[in-house]
Amino acid sequence: MSILLSKDTRVLVQGITGRAGRVQTQWMLEYGTNIIAGVTPGKGGEVIEGIPVYDTVAEAVAEQGAEASVFFVPAPAVKAAAIETIDAGIELLVVVTEHIPVHDVMEIKEYARGKKIQIVGPTTPGVITVGEAKMGIMPANMFTPGRIGLISRSGTLSYEVSINLAAGGLGQSTVIGMGADPVVFTSMPDLLKLFDGDPDTDIIVIVGEVGGIQEEKAAEFIDRWVTKPVVAYIAGLNAPQEKRMGHAGAIIRGDGKGTPQSKIAALREVGVDIARYPEQVVDLVKKHLAQS
Amino acid sequence: MKLYEYEGAELFKRGNIPVPEFALATTPEEAKQQAEAIGLPVILKAQVLTGGRYLAGGVKTVHSLDEVQPTAERILNTKIRDLPVRRVMVAASVEVAREFYLGVTVDDYRGMPLAILSAEGGVSINRIAQERAESVVSRPVSISRGLELSDTRQMCRQVGLRGKDMAEVSIILKSLYEVFRCYDAIIAEINPLVRTKKGAYLALDAKIEIDDSSLYRHTDLDLKIDERITNPLEREGREIGVSYLELDGDIAIIASGAGLGMTSMDVISQRMSPANFLETGGAITEELLYKVMGLVLRKEGIKGLFINVYGGINPIHEGARGVVRYMKEHDVNIPVVAKALGNHQEETWEIFRENGVHVVTDVSTEKGVEMLARLLEGGR
Repeated sequence: MSILLSKDTRVLVQGITGRAGRVQTQWMLEYGTNIIAGVTPGKGGEVIEGIPVYDTVAEAVAEQGAEASVFFVPAPAVKAAAIETIDAGIELLVVVTEHIPVHDVMEIKEYARGKKIQIVGPTTPGVITVGEAKMGIMPANMFTPGRIGLISRSGTLSYEVSINLAAGGLGQSTVIGMGADPVVFTSMPDLLKLFDGDPDTDIIVIVGEVGGIQEEKAAEFIDRWVTKPVVAYIAGLNAPQEKRMGHAGAIIRGDGKGTPQSKIAALREVGVDIARYPEQVVDLVKKHLAQS
Repeated sequence: MKLYEYEGAELFKRGNIPVPEFALATTPEEAKQQAEAIGLPVILKAQVLTGGRYLAGGVKTVHSLDEVQPTAERILNTKIRDLPVRRVMVAASVEVAREFYLGVTVDDYRGMPLAILSAEGGVSINRIAQERAESVVSRPVSISRGLELSDTRQMCRQVGLRGKDMAEVSIILKSLYEVFRCYDAIIAEINPLVRTKKGAYLALDAKIEIDDSSLYRHTDLDLKIDERITNPLEREGREIGVSYLELDGDIAIIASGAGLGMTSMDVISQRMSPANFLETGGAITEELLYKVMGLVLRKEGIKGLFINVYGGINPIHEGARGVVRYMKEHDVNIPVVAKALGNHQEETWEIFRENGVHVVTDVSTEKGVEMLARLLEGGR
């Protein structure tokens, strides 16, 4: 099934009655996603795109066996909704919502710690297991089925890299947008671990960017644990300091942390091939495939 | 959003963190009146959202009333790292016996608050941490449990504080954590906290940055966002709902995502020089791109424009109409290259081509930038 999501995963859409939730539900269904329920408090009993809507996540779990949930919940409502979802025993939560206060994200993250749930995001385009199912807003036609696991901090760059791979005759097993916020629920090492253990993935591609230390932590993890080849591309070589590059988390702080140079050096040090531009990812992946 | 020192000091007062008596002046005359009310000596401090105030002459201690007006005037006329000084803080000057550093920040990777204490203050915490690591302690905080006095006392002991220093500093660090939580801060810092020669503990500076995403629940703070963005083009970008950053070069960029914008910058920087970073996010309409065109072409001396967009959730064909409408109405005659892929790509290409935009159908950003470079070299 590649990682996290398959065509059989029973998916719940929270915030299904909103504008974005409704449209994206239609597109996820068209892709083949097994959406079995929606939740919007106060809208229980409605039917959206043929999908029954419940007031609570617990009902969606009890009556439809929901296993995973994708959030189109407005930012101020996310904390309460996430706690409800964790309590209901959902195993995968994809938080598409942008602009969630970082203190709320920290509270949710702590609440989820030690529980059997994997949360992707926030501010993520989502998760797509190519050719099977998608949870989120990524346009389906950017991806081609294949055996490359793709982890990206940027939505548009996951498209750019995937389209270039397709032009080179290559495709992806699962593509994950980690989310563009400074604090994310699932780290790059967490995702590397999942891909490394996935029989449908032969090689892992990381698309990083300036800000934070996810890539540096990924390098430490790769050095100790990852057995599959890893190729990386880091965006923002020319980003000025102390300026937010569109994403809340894409900022080189005054203390000098989060520079692309530090990320590239850390990854290169542990044997990761670094692509200078997205297009070059294709050559590096091909080089590894030729060696194996 | 970064707060001015005086705004941070107000939040400290609300959170029971003691600060010296202070007032705010926008004119030299006001500064003089306030100095008289507070009592000399006073310290005059430029209110700007950047470091380096001391070196730029933005902070001066004044001992006589006659000096207040000319000193305040000098500070108000100084630019600090290009930022104008609109306000001066007039604060009671104190005699310092000892300095400490207190901070609470977000440990992004762990996703937890991080409380930091140093037995030395007044200089950069990074420098202290590097040079005298034993003077600094940091502690990740469980956000549901919070930071207790027992925790902050232990932190004080770890850096060697005892007696009254320990008792007072531990209370203030806990209060700082409460301010951090209460106002959704991502940074709350006192550097320095001082013990005065008279034995009082006072925060002599206040550095607070509030999470932009939380501002909806802090409307009581009445923080004016626009005034903080000093670059007029960046302010306009914010008004129309896009991320715009002005850069030094002459090649304008429009990208439909942050990552794609950074990549466009990186590729262009190889052989040319980007004039800006711009990302539209997922809300492209004809009107938005019309406005964005006006924004990125406003700078003097723009030589070319590179458009890099994906049609996922974005209707790029509608965006293309905005681009070409702007070009027609404003007689744009620099080379414009567009790489537009995804939903509605053929329609988008047609709209562009019919209106003199050079379309790259290749999937690589490099090829698009190469095309732009060739057009610029060849002249038009």
